[in-house]
Amino acid sequence: MRDAYVIGAGQTDFGAMPEESYRSLFEKAYENAVDSVPDGFDGEAVDEAVVGNLGVGGRQLGLPGPAVTEHVGLHGVPCSRVENACAASGYAVRQAVQAVRSGMADVVLAGGVEVMSDMSSDVTKYWLGVSGETEWERLTGTTFAGVYAQMASAYLDRYEDATADHLSMAAVKNHANGAKNPHAHLGFECSMDQAVGAPIVADPLNLYHCCPTSDGASVALVASEDVVGEYTDDPVRVAGVGAASDRVGLFQRDDYTAVEASTRAGEAAYEMAGVGPDELDFAEVHDCFAIAELLAYEDLGFCGRGEAPSLLEEGETDLDGDLPVNASGGLKSKGHPIGATGAGQVAEAFKQLTGQAGERQVEDVTRGLTHNVGGSGGAAVVHVFEREREVAR
Amino acid sequence: MSAEKTRVASLGAYAPRLYVTSETVEEALGQFAASGVERKAVPEADEDTLTMAVEAARRALGAGEFEGSDVSYLAFATTTPPMEEADLTARLASALGAPADVDTRTLTGSTRAGAQALDAAVDARPWEGVGVVVASDAPRGAPDSAVEQAAGAGAAAVVLGDGPGRVEGRGSYVESYPGTRFRPAGEAETDGLDVTNYDRQAFSTALTGAVEDLETDVDAAAVQSPDGKLPYRATGALGVDAGTIAAGSTVEDLGDTGAASTLLGAASARNDGAERVLLAAFGGGAGATALRLDLAGVPAEIALKGDSELSYADYLRRRGEITSGEPEGGGAYVSVPSWQRTTPQRHRLVAGRCPECDALNFPPEGACSDCTARVDYERAELPGTGTVEATTTISQGGAPPEFVEQQARSGPFVAAVVALDGPDGGVASIPTQVLTGGRDVEIGDPVETTIRRIYEQEDVVRYGFKAQLCDAKR
Repeated sequence: MRDAYVIGAGQTDFGAMPEESYRSLFEKAYENAVDSVPDGFDGEAVDEAVVGNLGVGGRQLGLPGPAVTEHVGLHGVPCSRVENACAASGYAVRQAVQAVRSGMADVVLAGGVEVMSDMSSDVTKYWLGVSGETEWERLTGTTFAGVYAQMASAYLDRYEDATADHLSMAAVKNHANGAKNPHAHLGFECSMDQAVGAPIVADPLNLYHCCPTSDGASVALVASEDVVGEYTDDPVRVAGVGAASDRVGLFQRDDYTAVEASTRAGEAAYEMAGVGPDELDFAEVHDCFAIAELLAYEDLGFCGRGEAPSLLEEGETDLDGDLPVNASGGLKSKGHPIGATGAGQVAEAFKQLTGQAGERQVEDVTRGLTHNVGGSGGAAVVHVFEREREVAR
Repeated sequence: MSAEKTRVASLGAYAPRLYVTSETVEEALGQFAASGVERKAVPEADEDTLTMAVEAARRALGAGEFEGSDVSYLAFATTTPPMEEADLTARLASALGAPADVDTRTLTGSTRAGAQALDAAVDARPWEGVGVVVASDAPRGAPDSAVEQAAGAGAAAVVLGDGPGRVEGRGSYVESYPGTRFRPAGEAETDGLDVTNYDRQAFSTALTGAVEDLETDVDAAAVQSPDGKLPYRATGALGVDAGTIAAGSTVEDLGDTGAASTLLGAASARNDGAERVLLAAFGGGAGATALRLDLAGVPAEIALKGDSELSYADYLRRRGEITSGEPEGGGAYVSVPSWQRTTPQRHRLVAGRCPECDALNFPPEGACSDCTARVDYERAELPGTGTVEATTTISQGGAPPEFVEQQARSGPFVAAVVALDGPDGGVASIPTQVLTGGRDVEIGDPVETTIRRIYEQEDVVRYGFKAQLCDAKR
C-alpha cells in the first residue's frame, strides 16, 4: 500500500472569536496549512476533502463540509463531513490517509471546524453533552463533565495512591505548555494552588480539570508517496493509524477506569508503525478532562495501570520530560473546538516534527503520537507520525 | 356483597422527608395562621402526588406481602393531580406492576376524595386479587395564605383483600355550602372565603350527617384536617373526645394533606396500635364521607417522619416560587413515543438475560454488552437493590437544560452508575440519579430504587426510577 504523508498543517487561534464565522475560521486554518507546505501548494491539487464538525449551535448542520471547502475555492472537490463527536477531525485525518493509501486520491484535505462560544449559556447547555448516551445516561442529568467525573471517581476509588491533586497536576502542566503557544485559548500559566482550589463542577472534577469550549478550525494536507516530493524533501510520514469504537454509554462498558477504544486504537497504530510507546518523542492526547489525560497514559501504554499519577509526579510528561505530553497545551489550555480538535493535534505534531513549535518545541523529535477521543470513549483514533529523513527504514 | 364483608388486608403511608417548621414560616412572614401545625412535609422537586402514591402503595402491598401483579382494582384520589387531564392511573398501575386489565378509578375535586375512593371501592367489589385505594395530596395556596401555611404533603394506601381488617360501616352527606374550601377552574392555588362561623357550620353539619348511622366508639378518629384546630371542633358532631381525634391525626407533623388526610390518619393510628378507627372526611362545597374500620391485626408500613429541615428560602425553591423553569434553548429531545417504549425499564426495571453468556443487559436490546451476541433476551425483572459503581455530584450550573429546574429547586444532585442485582445473580449497570437524604455517596454504597419525576418536556412529566441510598431510606 502507498504511504501517506502530512505535507502541511495549520490551525487558527483557538478561543472565543465573535468576529469570526465558521467559514472564516476554516479559511484561516486552510491558509495557514497551505503556507506551511515547504515547497508551496495550490488548491487545484486537492482531490478530496474531509471535514470534521459536530455542528454545535446547529448553524450548518447539513453539508458543513462543502460549505467550507467551496468557501475557500476548492470548487467541485468531493467533500464529506465526519461526525464522531470530539474525535470528528481525528477521523477526518484517518479518512484522508485511507483515501491516499487506497490510491483513489493523491492529495486530500482533512480538517475540522467548530464555533461554540457565540451562544447564550442556555443554548450552550443543550449542546454540551449531546454526544453522551442520550436516552439513559444524559437523562440522569449528566453532561460530559458528569460522566468523566464518574470515571474519575472510579479511578480514585480503585487506585488509592491517586488523588484529585494528580488531576490538578495535569492541568498545571498543560497550562505551562499552553502559555508558550500563541494559538492557545487559555494561554496562561496556573499554579497548583489555583488548580486545586478551583470551584467544583462535578465532584471530583473542578473547573481546572475541565477544558474550555472554543471556536477554531484546523487543516492538515495529506499526500501520497507518489506526489509528496513535489511539496517537500523532508516529509512527515503517517507511520501508523488506529481507530476503534465502543459503547456510547459509560454504563454499558466493562471498565470505567480505562477507555478501551483508546487501547485498541493505540495498539493498531503502534502495530502499523512497527513501534511501541517507548519509541515516541512526544504525544498529543485527548485531555478534555484531566482524568482523560491520566487514562490516556495508561490506555496508550505510556505506563502501567494505576501508574499515571506517578508519571505526573516525576515530571515524565513535562515539556522537558522523557515523553512530553500535550506540548501544545492540550485541550485544557490550547482549547477544544470539538470538530477542529483532532486535526489541530495533527497540526501540532506537524509543527513539532518540522521544528516550528517555537517556545514549546520538544527537542530532537522524530516521532510523535496524536490521540483523539469522541464522547466518553465511544470513538477513538490514534496516529503515529515520523520524520522520514530521521528514521532508518 | 355487603360492605360489612369488605376485608382490609394492609396499609401503607408515605410523606416526603423534607419539612418546614411553623417557626420558620412565622419568622419569614411575621405570622402563622395554621394553628396546630408544628411542621409540614414538603415534596422534593422530583416528587408529586403520583410518586408519593407509588411510595405509599408499594409500602401497603409490601406490608401485606402482596405483589403488584395481584392488584385488580386501583383507585387514585387527589385534589392535586400532576396533570389536570391525563389518566394517571395508567402510570400508577405501570409503576406498581399491576396487570393491564386492572380496573382503575380517579377521584378528585374534593378533600374527601380519599375516603370517597375507599367508599367506592367497597361498592366496586367483587374482584379477583386485591384492590388498592391510594390517596395522595400536596395542596397549594397563595404564598402568604393560611391554606399555603398549612399545606403539607403525604400519601396513604389501603389494600382491600384477604386480611384481618374489615370495613364495618359507611356514611355520606352533602349540603350546599358554597365558598368553603375551593379552587377556581384553571388555578393551582386552593382558596376559601374564610367566613369563620360559616366554615365551621359547614364542617360540623356535613360530618354530623355522615356519621349519623355509625357507631363512633373508636380508638382513633381520623378527621379531615385543613389545619390542626378545626378537627377538634368535630368532637360533638362525631361523638368522640379530643384524645381520640389526636390519635388519628397527622396534621401537626405533615400539615394539611388534603384528600390523603383521613387515610393517613388511619394508617398512622394503626401503626400506633389502634384497632377501631373512624375516618371522617370533609370537602368544601360541602360534603362528608365517613367510614368505620376494624383494623385489628392489619399490618401497616409507614414512612412519615421528616428528617431534613428546610429554611424558608429552600422551601420556596422546592415550591418553584423563586425559580424560573426550564431554560430557553431546549434540551436533549427524547420523544414521548421513544420514552414510552422504555416504560418497562423506567417503571419496573425490566432487564434481559443473555441466553449465550448469562450477562444481564439493561436496557434489554441490541447486541449483548458482554459477549456481543445478538440474542433474544430472557426477561429478568430486577428487584431494585444494588451498589454504587461510579458517582459524581453535579454542581449548580452543570446540569443539562432539562435538569436545570430540578437543580434550581433542589440544588446539586448525584448522578451515578449503579450495579443493580439480578433476580438470580449477576448485576446490570445502570445510570441513575441517587437520592441521598443529604448524605455523601461512596462507591460501594448499597442502594434501592424508587419512582420519581425524571424531567418534564413538552408539558409531559416523565416518570422513572431513581436510586436511593439504603442508609437514607426511612
